[in-house]
Amino acid sequence: MSFLESWITNFLTITMFFYIASFLLYLVRLFKGPTIPDMILAIDALGYDLAAFLIILSILFKNPVLIPCAIVLTLWIYALDIYVAKYLEAKEMGE
Amino acid sequence: MDTELINWTLVVVGQILVAVGVFCDFVAALLMIRFPNFYVRLHALTIGSIGGAVVPAIGAALIAAGSPFLGMYRWFLAGGALVTALFIFILGGAGAHAIARATYRAKAAEYRPCYVDQLAEDRGEVGC
Repeated sequence: MSFLESWITNFLTITMFFYIASFLLYLVRLFKGPTIPDMILAIDALGYDLAAFLIILSILFKNPVLIPCAIVLTLWIYALDIYVAKYLEAKEMGE
Repeated sequence: MDTELINWTLVVVGQILVAVGVFCDFVAALLMIRFPNFYVRLHALTIGSIGGAVVPAIGAALIAAGSPFLGMYRWFLAGGALVTALFIFILGGAGAHAIARATYRAKAAEYRPCYVDQLAEDRGEVGC
């Protein structure tokens, strides 16, 4: 456990708490959001930050299995945006 | 000694980026609750997605590039983090635009503290 490794591990552990705190704040907006687009905003921000959180976790766990999950999560959050936008405008999902 | 120096500079710069990103993320989460209506919260969304996810992803890529203890996975994590940062950078803005346009056209979110609505005036509809 070189000094560099413990330095990085301690730093990333501290940032994890801030990430979890901001996730909870996004959840507050998700449950409080008066309209559907507000909820979509909360899910967007939550999903993109979750992708960054997964990357930091994959450095902590020294295991790259989470990286494809973060990439796919980012693409799915964008797809959610497009589906909801299409539904709001044209009342159909493009099937 | 020189490789140790390079590793340390990469890690410290990465840590600064991650710290900036986490701060942006926390501020964006607070703003997402405090802002009055949907259209102002779009700004909080892009703070959260670009400042709060792209910047720490690039920082994490630098940290991963500068940490030899990761061994075989070192460059895999650095590359994966950069690719994710690029994806979030491109898709964050595009998704926010799509949802904002749809919400304005479908009038799904009320525009309560309305001071000026130049799009409505341009279209000839009644402004606010």
